Amino acid sequence: MRILVVGGGTGGTIVANNLARRLSGEIRAGKVKLTMLSASDKHMYQPGLLYVAFGQMMPDELYRDQASLLESSIDFHVDPVEQFELDKNQVKTKSGKVYMYDVMVIATGSRIVPEQIPGLAEGAETFYSEAGAVKMFKRLREFQGGKIAVVVGVPHKCPIAPVEVIFSMHDYFKARGIRDKVTIKYHYPIGRIHTIKEVATWAKPEFDRMGIEYETLFNVKEVDVKNKVVKSEEDTEYAYDLLIAIPPHRGMEVIEKNGLGEGGWIPTDRHKLTMNGHDNVYVVGDTTNLPVSKTGSAAHFEAEVISENISSIVKIGTPVRDYDGKVYCFIETGHDSATYAMFNYQNPPDLKPPSKPMHWFKMSYNKMYWTSVRGLL
Amino acid sequence: MNTETGTPVAATATAEDLHQLAELANLVTAARDAMSDDIVTRLAGAMSEGITLLDRLTRNEGLIYLLQELDRPENQHFLVSLANAFTEASKELATTPQAKGGLVCALRLVQDPGVLEGLRLVSLVGSRLSKSMREMHRHGG
Amino acid sequence: MSENKLVDARDTFCPGPLMELITHMKQASVGDTLELLSTDEGSGADVPEWVNKVGHEILSNEKIEGVWHIKVRKAK
Repeated sequence: MRILVVGGGTGGTIVANNLARRLSGEIRAGKVKLTMLSASDKHMYQPGLLYVAFGQMMPDELYRDQASLLESSIDFHVDPVEQFELDKNQVKTKSGKVYMYDVMVIATGSRIVPEQIPGLAEGAETFYSEAGAVKMFKRLREFQGGKIAVVVGVPHKCPIAPVEVIFSMHDYFKARGIRDKVTIKYHYPIGRIHTIKEVATWAKPEFDRMGIEYETLFNVKEVDVKNKVVKSEEDTEYAYDLLIAIPPHRGMEVIEKNGLGEGGWIPTDRHKLTMNGHDNVYVVGDTTNLPVSKTGSAAHFEAEVISENISSIVKIGTPVRDYDGKVYCFIETGHDSATYAMFNYQNPPDLKPPSKPMHWFKMSYNKMYWTSVRGLL
Repeated sequence: MNTETGTPVAATATAEDLHQLAELANLVTAARDAMSDDIVTRLAGAMSEGITLLDRLTRNEGLIYLLQELDRPENQHFLVSLANAFTEASKELATTPQAKGGLVCALRLVQDPGVLEGLRLVSLVGSRLSKSMREMHRHGG
Repeated sequence: MSENKLVDARDTFCPGPLMELITHMKQASVGDTLELLSTDEGSGADVPEWVNKVGHEILSNEKIEGVWHIKVRKAK
């Protein structure tokens, strides 16, 4: 049985490591071969980007060598897939190699496409890339006062990020003693300040307390870089001194080019996590089209289900578990407090009041992440 | 019932319990105040790396086998003897003049029974090691 | 040629039915119809509020057995 994992991010790495542990006997006996293909030799801890944007983490802390995170029984190659030939159960890579599989897991993730909104790439700061996060920190550091606008593109990974960046900015300028010189205006696409009802209800009085201005039903249309004005589909606009954007996202180009899913989002069964129409192809993480948050957390829980099922298929011929939609996300609420949102398909989130210990739990998780992708936590 | 003052024992015990609870609460607060992001991060980092290392070590069959061998007294004794021999030899070397080389020097050396004993040991070890290595090659090592 | 697409966002809380609709609207072409399925109580009001503010068209909005079926046409 040849198992191929395409993509070395959170979801792909956890699937591969879990399978390597569960099927260690079968791999040693030569009954199973486990291969991973990735576009990069490095693994990035993406939640760290928010910390980089506020000078709390250095960019080098975001990365580890992918090979160092993988079980030795995984055949790992830095050789991205360029063609998916699902009818032939094979893929073709950049180097020209062909990999055949019996089971494939697509874990290619998502990318930011700020160019979808005219003027956004040139006019806005974003912490959704390493370079962007470092640049944003420098701009924040130089900022002496004025109007900061935060806008949100749809869809985007990490739905809680817009709220977190507001809390972080408020605390950052307070610590610098210039919070009264800075106006922070938050713009959100739907009719409340966050898509999760419980978060919107909790955050609104917090925004009021912190003196954050906000405008809902603001869908970014374009940015007039020269005049520093951001405009909405609803024909409203806001003049800014500094613009911070959470850019819109799409799935990876290779997914779109191979016609696997519109926008790069692969049609996936919400419980089995198999690709629609292909029972031997699993999809994990951002690249699914599931109405589930695009987060490392969702990828983690999906990966657990997928690896358990592929392993049980090898051992007893059938899958054993369904994905219940579980997601567990930390919510940083400033310099020294945090809370979390946990939910699944059946149960909405139930937010607890933010606390310092919860902030420490999040700080600990920044380090525990590496142990978690190795399949140890 | 406390017979001296007439107050119920339960009431006295509660006051002391409360005092201890208050002390405990102060301790927790103090610990909380002492903790910083850096401490938490370093502890978590150490623990994470520790778990990873422990996982690797416990799955390393060679290491487990070596540990079992090390548990045997004769192996422990041998390793200690080896270490002692080297330590003492090193000390003696500090006061022994460097060999000058040549046949005359060699003849002088073999007059020392210690040297011959050493050569005997080396040849005994060597022949067994050679046998064992040939065995290893025969089995494709 | 305009297409009809189904957006099944039942039993989801994050990013939630309206955000899912917005994502699919961006991928759709002008003239396409999208039908959103949602078990969120508020969808009956939230979705039309967004559709009308941005400038698209609500074709129908009904609750059948606890599920909102909201048909929207991409107008621009």
